[in-house]
Amino acid sequence: MNTKPWKHPLGQAAIVVVLAYLLFEWGIWLLPPLFGVASAPVPATVVLQYMGTVVVGVLIWVSDSEERWKQFKAPIHRVMVDPRQKVLRTALMVTIPLLVAFMTFDRVRPTVSAPAALRSVHPAPPGQIDFRGETMVLNGLENPLRHEGDLEAHYEEGKRIYVQNCMPCHGDALDGQGHFASAFNPAPLSFQDPGTIVQLTESFVFWRIAKGGPGLPREATPWDSAMPAWEDLLTAEEIWQVTIYLYEQTGWEPRTWEEEGAEGEEH
Amino acid sequence: MRDLFGCGRAMLMATAAVFATACGGGGGEAGGGMEQEAAGEEMASPVDMATAGGIHAMVMFEGMAPEMDAIDMASEPNCAARYTDTPMAEEVVVGGGGGLANVFVYVREGLDAGMSFPTPGGAVVMDQVGCRYVPRVVGVQAGQDLTFRNSDGLPHNINASPSENRGFNISQPVNMDTNRNFPLAEVMVPVRCDVHGWMSAYVGVLDHPFHGVTDMEGGADLGMLPPGDYVVEAWHERYGTQTASVTVTTGETAMVSFSFSEAMAANAVVPMGEPIDPHGPGAHTLAPEAH
Amino acid sequence: MRARAMVPGFVVAAAVTCAVSAPLAAQEENALGREVYDRWCASCHGYEGLGDGYAATWMLPRPRDFTQALYQIRTTPSGQLPTDDDIMRVINEGMPGTTMPGWEEELSLEERLALVDYLKSFSRFFAAGEAPEPMTFSSPTRATEEALAEGREVYELIECNRCHGADGRGDGTSSPTLVDDTGMPIYSVDLTENWYFNGGGTVEDIYQRLRTGLDGTPMPSFTDLIDAGVITDEQLWNLSHYVRSLAPEDPPGITEVIRAGLVEDAPLPEGVDDPLWESAEAFYIPMGGQIIESPRWFVPQVAGLWVRALHDGGELAVHVSWSDHSESPDSAWAGFQAQVLSAVGPEEGDMEPGPRPDGLYLQFPMEIPEGMDKPYFLMGDPLEPVYLWHWESTAGAAQEADARGLGTMAPQGDAGQSLASEAAFSAGRWAVMFRRALETGDPGDLQFRVGEPVPVGFAAWDGDNGESGSRGSISSWHYIFLQEPTPATVVVAPLIATLLTAGLGVLVVARAQRREREGAEGPDEGDA
Repeated sequence: MNTKPWKHPLGQAAIVVVLAYLLFEWGIWLLPPLFGVASAPVPATVVLQYMGTVVVGVLIWVSDSEERWKQFKAPIHRVMVDPRQKVLRTALMVTIPLLVAFMTFDRVRPTVSAPAALRSVHPAPPGQIDFRGETMVLNGLENPLRHEGDLEAHYEEGKRIYVQNCMPCHGDALDGQGHFASAFNPAPLSFQDPGTIVQLTESFVFWRIAKGGPGLPREATPWDSAMPAWEDLLTAEEIWQVTIYLYEQTGWEPRTWEEEGAEGEEH
Repeated sequence: MRDLFGCGRAMLMATAAVFATACGGGGGEAGGGMEQEAAGEEMASPVDMATAGGIHAMVMFEGMAPEMDAIDMASEPNCAARYTDTPMAEEVVVGGGGGLANVFVYVREGLDAGMSFPTPGGAVVMDQVGCRYVPRVVGVQAGQDLTFRNSDGLPHNINASPSENRGFNISQPVNMDTNRNFPLAEVMVPVRCDVHGWMSAYVGVLDHPFHGVTDMEGGADLGMLPPGDYVVEAWHERYGTQTASVTVTTGETAMVSFSFSEAMAANAVVPMGEPIDPHGPGAHTLAPEAH
Repeated sequence: MRARAMVPGFVVAAAVTCAVSAPLAAQEENALGREVYDRWCASCHGYEGLGDGYAATWMLPRPRDFTQALYQIRTTPSGQLPTDDDIMRVINEGMPGTTMPGWEEELSLEERLALVDYLKSFSRFFAAGEAPEPMTFSSPTRATEEALAEGREVYELIECNRCHGADGRGDGTSSPTLVDDTGMPIYSVDLTENWYFNGGGTVEDIYQRLRTGLDGTPMPSFTDLIDAGVITDEQLWNLSHYVRSLAPEDPPGITEVIRAGLVEDAPLPEGVDDPLWESAEAFYIPMGGQIIESPRWFVPQVAGLWVRALHDGGELAVHVSWSDHSESPDSAWAGFQAQVLSAVGPEEGDMEPGPRPDGLYLQFPMEIPEGMDKPYFLMGDPLEPVYLWHWESTAGAAQEADARGLGTMAPQGDAGQSLASEAAFSAGRWAVMFRRALETGDPGDLQFRVGEPVPVGFAAWDGDNGESGSRGSISSWHYIFLQEPTPATVVVAPLIATLLTAGLGVLVVARAQRREREGAEGPDEGDA
C-alpha cells in the first residue's frame, strides 16, 4: 500500500490545508505588492476563521464518497491500532497534549496592552467654524486662492509655512516621517498616503489645520492628537497657501464639492 | 554671494589680460610663461638681487592698548600650571615701544605679471605651547610646508577652515609634528583648536615671498623686491586691514608705516579667506607700457 | 489621480548677472537636478545652495551650505571633497540626529543621480581638479573582550573624553565651547545613542568617521596618528568597537505601555542607584520639541527618556534617566546657551539667556479614565486638568502639581505632598526616581490600581540649552501598567487542558484497538 502522498485523500487534505494556511498568512500580505497593489498582513483571528472554513470544506469533500472516507481514515486508524506504529503513537499522545498545554498557557498568561482606542480618522467636519471671531461656512467652500493672485507665489509661500511649521512632524517629504514624528501618537499623517488629503476637500483640510487636535470631535480622540490649532499662529490666507502646497507638492488633486455631492447621492 | 564675487574677480582678470594684449604686452605674457617653464625643474628666484630693494613695515598702536581677557584654563590644569601669571588672550599684543605685534604685512599688488616664485623648501613651524599657538600669526608661500607642532604633550586638534583652499581637521593627542600645505593664496586662513576653545591662529598664504609678521616692536621685513610701485597691506585680526603705496628703489629699504587704534575695532572688516592676486590690476609692468 | 506638479519658476539671480560662471553653467545643463533640488531641497538649503532656506534659522545644526563643499560624511581624507557615492549616501540615508531625512524612498535613482551633480555644481571646488579618491579602509578586527578593553585604552589615550565625556555622553570639558565652521554652537555627539550618529551607527561607520573626520565640525581625523605611529590601525578599529559598545545592540523600539514589575521578595528601591533598577525592564520614550503652542521650541536636547517602574502592591517607584551634557545651570555652559538662543528662531517668548534648571515631569489624569477619554496630552485643559510629578534640578525634592493647560502648572499645597524623590547627575546622565503610595487618600491625586493601564505623559527640559517654560521636549500619552500577581489560572488551566487532551487520546486509541481486536475475532455486526 505505497500510494504517493498526493494521490491519497489524507495527503491531499493535508496539502490543501497547508497551502491554504500559507496563502492566508503570507500570500495575501506579500503577493499583491509584487503587482503594485497595496496589501497588509491578515489578522490572526481572521486567519483562524478562514482555516476553520477550509478544514470543514476538506472534511465534507473526504466524507463525500464512502471509498474516499475509508481511504482517508485508514492511515489514522493504523496509527492507533497497528503494533508496529507504537513509537509514533506514543509520541503523538505525548506531543499533542503538550501542544494544547502551551496554547492554553499562551491564552491565559497575563499580557499588557494599551486599552483599545477606537479612533475616527476622518471625522465628519462641522458645517461651519468660527475662525478668529468670524464665521466660516465650510460646506461648498473652495480654496479662494486658486482664483486669486499668483498660484506659484501662493505655492512658494505655502512651502515656507510648511517647512517652518509642519515639517518637524510631517516630514520634508510630506510622508509623516518628520524628526519629531516618533514622539507623537497618533503618528503625524503622511500626505503622500492615498488615504489622506486626496480623499478630502480643501475646506476640510483648512478646518483640520485651523482647529488641530483640540478641535477634533470626541470620536477622533482630540486629547491624543499633537496637531496644533494653527488659527493661533497662522492667518486664513497662510492656511490656504499651505493647503495649496500640500496638494501641489504631493501631486494629489483635492476632492471637489461636485464629487462630494455625487458620492452623497449614491449613498 | 560667493559666486558673484568669484565671477567678478574672473572678469577683472579677464579685463586685465585683454588690456595687456591690446597694449602690445603679448610678448611679456609669453615671456612670463617661458620663465615659469624654465624654472620648472629648479626654480630660482626671479628677483635680480643687483637691482632689488627692500620693504620694511612698522606697525604702531595708538593710545592705550585694550586690556585682554584672562584665559580660563581651568579645564586644562596641565597648561594652566605652566603660567606663573594668569595667561591673557593674545588678540591684541602691544610691545613696550608701542609696536603692534602679530600683524600680517604683505605685498598685495604690484608684482610683475609674469613673475612666479619657487616654493621655499623649508617649513614654517606653528607650535602649540602652553595651549597657545606660537607664533599666533604666520605667513607661508602657497605650497610651502606648514608644520603644526604639539609641544604640550596633551591633546590638541588643528582645525583649519580656509575658503580658497580645502581645510582640514587633524588630531594631535601627543607630542608630534604634522605637515600640511595650502596650494592657493588667501588672506587669512583661520586655525583653531576645538579642545581648547581659546586657541586660535591665522595663516596668510601668498604665491610670493614678500610678507612678514610684526614683532613686539611692530616691525616686519618683507624681503627684497624688484624696483617699482607696490601696494602693501597690513592685516590685524581685530582691527582689520590698512593699505599703503610704497616705491622700491634699488639698494634702498623703503619704509612703510601703519597705525592702528582701538577705535578701529568697532567698524573693522577683518577679511578671511580673501583670494590675493598680486599680479592684478596695477601690476607695475603694465603701467609703463601703457604710456 | 496624480496631477502634473507645478514647478515653481524660480530664477537664480546670479545666473543672469554671471552666465559665464562654470558652476552655474553646469546647473543650466542639469534641468532634472535643478527641478528636484528646487522642489525638495531648497526650502532648507536655499535656492542658491547657501544653506539659508526658509527653515534654516529654526534648525541647529543648520542645513549644509553647498557652496563651501564641506561634507561631514565622506570616505576621503580630512579636507578633501566627497566622492559622488558619499554624497549619494547622505541623500539616501539622510543625517540621523539632524533634520535631514533620507530620500531613497522618495526620489528615483535618476533623480538622485541628477541631484548629486546639481549639489556639486554649487561649489567651484568640484569644477576644478580630478574626482576625489576614496581612502582604502582595512577590515574590522573582531570585537573581543580584549579588543573592547584596548579600545577603552585608546579612548583615554587620545582623550576622546575631552568632548565626548568619560562615558561617552557628550559631556566633556571642551563641549561647552564647541562651534562648527559657520560659528554655530555644536553639541558633541552622545555616543550612547548610535542611532543618532550623523554618518550611521555601525562599527564600520564609526571607524570611517575616525579616519576621515567630520569636516566642518570639531571632530578631527585620526589618520595622521596611524601614519605617525602614535596608534595602530588595529587600535583604531578597537576604539571603534568600544564606541559602538557604548550604545545598545539595537536601537530602542517604541513601547506604548510601560510595565511596572511587581516586586514581591525585596523592598522597593530607595534611591536612583539601587541595584534592583538594573534588572528592571527599561522602556524608551522618544521625545519631540514642544511646537504646539507658542512659545515653541524646535531644537530640544532631550531626545528620549529611559523609564523603569516597579511596585510592591503598596507603592510605585519610577526611575527616569536620560543623557544631558550638563547639570544645568552650569556656568561653563552660559556662553553656549546664549549662542543657542541667539541662533535659533522663531523669536517667541523670553529668549534672554540666563541660568535655567533641568527639569522633568510625569503627567497623569486626575483619575484612571473609565472609557477612552483622557485629558489633553499637553498638560490638560481647564475642563480636564492633569496631575503631575514635577522635578527641577535646582528645586530639591520633586513635587506633586496640577495643571489646566500649558503654562498653568501649580504645585499642590505642602499638606497634599506625598511624593518621595531622588535625583543624581553623573557623567552626562540624569537619573531621577519618584516613589509614591498607590493610594494616597488625597482627592487631588491620581489613585493607582494594580492591573489597570494608567495614562502617563512626559516632558523634559535642558536648561543649558535655553529650555524653560513651554520650550522643552514632550511626549504624547503612554500607559503605565502595574503588573498583577501571577493568577493561579496560568498554572491550572494548561494542566487541565493537558489532562483532558491526554485522557481523550487514551480513550480514543483504546477504543479503536478494542474494536480492532473484536473485528479480528469475528465479523462485526452492528457496532454500537
